Amino acid sequence: MSDFAFIDGSIVGVYLLVVMTAGIMVRKYVGKVEDFLLAGREMNLYLGIASLAATEFGILTCMYTSQNGYENGFAGAIPGVLLCMAMLFVGWTGFCIKPLRDSNAITIPELLEKKYGSRVRWATGVVIALGGLLNMGVALRIGGEFLVGVAGIDQKYLEIMMTTLLLAVAVYTILGGMLSVLITDFLQFIVMSAGLLITTLFILHKVGWGTLVNTVQNHHGSGGFNPFRNENMGWSYVVFNAMLATAGVITWQPMIARVLAAKDSKTGQRVYTRTSFFFVARFLVPGLWGIAALAILSPQEIGDNSLLAMPTMIRQLLPAGLLGLLVAAMLAAEMSTDSAYMLTWGSIIYNDIMAPLRRDNTWSERKGLFWNRTIVALIGVFLLIYGLWYKIEGDAWTYLCLTGTIYLSSISVLLVACCYWKRANSWGAAAAIICGAFLPVTTLILQKVGPWTDWFQKRDTLCGVITYVAVAIAMIIGSYHKPQSRLIVTEAK
Amino acid sequence: MMTIINGIKSMFHDHWCWGFLAFACIVWYSTITIYVAIKGSYDIRNMLRTLSKSKDN
Repeated sequence: MSDFAFIDGSIVGVYLLVVMTAGIMVRKYVGKVEDFLLAGREMNLYLGIASLAATEFGILTCMYTSQNGYENGFAGAIPGVLLCMAMLFVGWTGFCIKPLRDSNAITIPELLEKKYGSRVRWATGVVIALGGLLNMGVALRIGGEFLVGVAGIDQKYLEIMMTTLLLAVAVYTILGGMLSVLITDFLQFIVMSAGLLITTLFILHKVGWGTLVNTVQNHHGSGGFNPFRNENMGWSYVVFNAMLATAGVITWQPMIARVLAAKDSKTGQRVYTRTSFFFVARFLVPGLWGIAALAILSPQEIGDNSLLAMPTMIRQLLPAGLLGLLVAAMLAAEMSTDSAYMLTWGSIIYNDIMAPLRRDNTWSERKGLFWNRTIVALIGVFLLIYGLWYKIEGDAWTYLCLTGTIYLSSISVLLVACCYWKRANSWGAAAAIICGAFLPVTTLILQKVGPWTDWFQKRDTLCGVITYVAVAIAMIIGSYHKPQSRLIVTEAK
Repeated sequence: MMTIINGIKSMFHDHWCWGFLAFACIVWYSTITIYVAIKGSYDIRNMLRTLSKSKDN
C-alpha cells in the first residue's frame, strides 16, 4: 500500500501556494461589478476552454463518474457522450446561447425579465440559486472523503480539511471574482489534466485494457457496454440524460457564465464546440478508474459504499510522487469548481434576487462590489454548514440529476420559449416554474417516505423525463390561458 | 514500446468503440492541454492588458 509521503505533500503545498498567489494578485484589476462577475467580458477562446473544462470537473464529478463506471461498466460513460453531443449542437447552432450573449445580460433571469417581467426574473433567480446551492452542497463532503481516502488521513480530520479548502478558495474568489476564477482555473486545468493523464496511463499499464474489458463483461455482461441492455439504465435513463444534457448546456449558470464572460457570442460558441469532447473524457476517464477498482479490489476491501471504491484502489496502486500529483490534480479540480460555483450562484443572488433593491440605480460600483463579496462569503459559510452535516444516500449522480432538475427543467423551457416562441408570456413562465420545482421535490419526498418508496427509487429517471415534458406542457397551457387583453397591455408596457 | 503498441491494438480490438473513445481521451488530454496552456497564457496577458487600460481610462 502506498502512503502519502513527504514528496506528495511538497507537490500539493507548492501547487496551493502558486494558485493562491495568482488568484490574489489579479484583484487589482477589479474595478466594477462587471469585472467581478464577468471579468469585464474580456475572456478569449483558450482561456474559456481551460476555465470551462476546469470548472466542470470537480472531485465530486470524479467520484460519481467512477462510481458509474464501477456499477455500470463502460455504459456508465453515456451521460458524457450525450453531453458532448449537446455541446456540439449548441456550440455550432448558437441555440439559446447566441441570443443570451447578444443581449449583454449578466445572468439568464436578466434576459427572461425582458420577456416575462420582473416577478419572473426574481422567481427564476430564487429557483436557480436554490437548485444550484443544494446541488453544490454535497460536493464538499464527497471531496473531503476522497482526499481523506486517497491520502490515508484519519476520517476525523475531514471537516478541518474541508474548512481549510473552502477558506483558501473563498479568499481569492472574494478578492478577485471572475478574474481570479479564470486565472486559477487556467492553472488548475493544466495540473488537473496532467494528473488525470498520468494516472490513467499508469492504471492502463498496471491493469491492462483486456482486464478492464473482461471485468466489465464478467460483472455486467452486455449491459456493461450497451446502456439499453443495462438493468440500471434502459431507455428512460438515456432519454433523461439527453434532456438533462441539453438543458444543462443552455442553462447551467457556471457554464453559461463562460459564454457571458466571452468577448462575443462567436467566441462563446467556439468555447462550447472545442470543449465538447472534454465531456466524454470527464465521464470515461474516471469511469475507467472505477472499472479498474472493480477489477483489482475484493468486495471486502470495497465494503458497502461503492463511491469509495476508486479512492481505495488509487491509494493501493499509485506510487509516492504520482499520488501527490493526483491529489494536487484533484485539489485543482475541486478548487476550480468551488470558486466558479460560489461566484456563479452569488451573481444570481446579487443580480436577480436583490434586483428589487437596486431599482433606483443609486448603488455605486463600490457598494455593488461590497455586496457581491459579502454574498460569496455567505455562500461559503452556507456550504460549510450544509456540506458538513448533510449525508448523501444512494447513487450520487441520480441525486445530482434530480436536484439539478429542480431548476434545469423550468429554466430551460423558459429560456427556449423566451428566445424562440413569440406567444410565451408570464403566465406560462409561472406555470413552468411551479411545475418544474414541484415535481422533482415531490419525487424526492416520495423516494424517502410513503408506501411507494421502492417504485419511485427504481423509476427516478422516468420521473425526470415526465418532469421535462410536464414543464413544457405547463408553459404552453399557461401562455395560451393568459387573456389576450392582458397580453396586449403587457406587450405595450 | 511494443507493450504500448500492443496495448493500443487491444483497445481497438476489444469493444473498439469504447477503446477508440478511451484512446481519444488520452490523446485529447496529452495534446489539447499543451496547446490550450500556450494559447491560454496569451489570452490572460491580453485580458489583463485590456482591463488595465480600461481601468486607467
